[in-house]
Amino acid sequence: MSDLYSYLLVAAIVFTIGAYGIITQRSGIKILMSIELMLNAANINLVAFSSFNGDTAGQVFALFSIAIAAAEAAIGFAILVVLFRVRDTINLDNINILRW
Amino acid sequence: MSYILLAPEILLTILALGIILLGLLISDRSKNMLGYLSAAGLAACLIYIIGTKGEGRFFYDALVVDPLSQIFKLIFVAVSLIVVIASIAYFKNNRNQDEYYALILLATVGMMVVASANDLVALFVGFELASMSTYVLAGFEKKNPASLEAALKYFIIGSLSSALMLFGMSLVYGITGSTNIPAILQYYSSNSPVSLDIIAMLFLIAGFGFKMALVPFHMWAPDTYEGSPTVVSALLAAGSKKMGFVAAFRVLVLALVALRMDLQMTFAILAVITMTYGNVVAISQRSIKRMLAYSSIAQAGYISLAFVVTTQMSIAGGVLLALGHALMKGGAFLAVGVVGYMVLSDNKDAKNIDHLDNFSGLGKRAPITAFSLFVLLLALAGIPPSAGFVGKFVLFYSVTAEAVSAASGWLLFIVIVAILNSALSIYYYARVIKYMYVNAPAGERIKEPTPYVVAILLAVIGTIGIGLYPEPFVQMAMDAARVLGV
Repeated sequence: MSDLYSYLLVAAIVFTIGAYGIITQRSGIKILMSIELMLNAANINLVAFSSFNGDTAGQVFALFSIAIAAAEAAIGFAILVVLFRVRDTINLDNINILRW
Repeated sequence: MSYILLAPEILLTILALGIILLGLLISDRSKNMLGYLSAAGLAACLIYIIGTKGEGRFFYDALVVDPLSQIFKLIFVAVSLIVVIASIAYFKNNRNQDEYYALILLATVGMMVVASANDLVALFVGFELASMSTYVLAGFEKKNPASLEAALKYFIIGSLSSALMLFGMSLVYGITGSTNIPAILQYYSSNSPVSLDIIAMLFLIAGFGFKMALVPFHMWAPDTYEGSPTVVSALLAAGSKKMGFVAAFRVLVLALVALRMDLQMTFAILAVITMTYGNVVAISQRSIKRMLAYSSIAQAGYISLAFVVTTQMSIAGGVLLALGHALMKGGAFLAVGVVGYMVLSDNKDAKNIDHLDNFSGLGKRAPITAFSLFVLLLALAGIPPSAGFVGKFVLFYSVTAEAVSAASGWLLFIVIVAILNSALSIYYYARVIKYMYVNAPAGERIKEPTPYVVAILLAVIGTIGIGLYPEPFVQMAMDAARVLGV
């Protein structure tokens, strides 16, 4: 039982670091890394619960989410690259054409 | 095992992959026909969905076809159809058309999977398929900084919401030991909720709230709708937003009922803040796309009243308003697209093409578009006979009925706030109508592109049709609500 809690604690810490990064970081790349941290925190949860419950559904879910996270990162980098070509920056403070 | 009920999803997937392949083989000039091909595929799906009554479960209970999934598939396919028809004009002679149409079809498949999802894994995969296709679509004009900025903001907020949702799902899986939604409910009906359940629910509410653009999770929506290509804004506002609602209906409503959790007040506060904020901020907008974005935030507030009372009738009202809003908002965005076409044909380097001033004298310059926009804006404000009126009527009536039967003063207060909000929204819709019909035109009458006109007229016919013959649609919505067993 205590094992499960330590895994959940790690996941919660990783998730919080990711959330903190999204709020504070201004570079597009660092924000992408923070998003990956949050997704992987959920994966740790899924695998820990799966092993604790003795049920494989959670590990299958984690595999799906790893594949999806990879696709998501690819799209994120693609958007950043195109943005960099047009604007010469990926600093979010400079990306502010749209506002009211 | 027959998969005939999943024919629309299968057809659209094959069509999307076929279009990517075909795009490699044919010349840039003949790519214009891919739009007609996609429209034909979507029209076939629309007819199939309207004409089929069957129910079924597929892939070990991961996907389910029932009245709730069918009415939302109807919304998604109808929106994609009008968007694709309008895109035939918008992306004419664009050399990346094949990718554009393939992405729209894949986004539609993703939304349809979410509508059918009966398992958290299928729900998540469907969400991501639709989201990732729309991230790319939002940034499709890759030389236009506003479009790229819209895509980046949408991507960051969208992935954040996916991460929140996935974390919430992992907790739900941990508590209940299953990812199957009926199995989760069965667990909850025999076990009392623990504190972790509330945390999991809050993660899910935040994740779905971002997709539904409820205040305080709304900040991406105005930026993204303003910056994206106009036809994509129509898809995002009318289609992909409803995806959050169907997921919320499937998961949250059931969970709220099964958990007997007192989240009524949370949703009431969210709904009231969302509709008031959307309407008040929309008043000060000069960009029409941005105004429509805030008005769709307000509409999301109305729809989320369904989560407050969770009676069968209120959910039917929410579904009806979602259906009506999809047609009205899709049509309105496409009308803005015609204005953009008009302004760009006057002056190739025009900026702020959706500014209110460009709508001056639209009644003279583009009469069909102006009249359609007039009808759609009044429908958005809830004037009968229109889909907007039917949806709001059923929804507000259901909340009032619940307030009377529970003798609850604050529910009545919420209804009054919602009705006052509807009145407030007439102000900014009427301002556009005044610009179109009273102000002097800034140029000659233009020839409105036929694909746009067809798409907008389809939206108008749908809106008015639901307003004049609401019975079959109300019946469909009631059947959909019955699936949830509330």
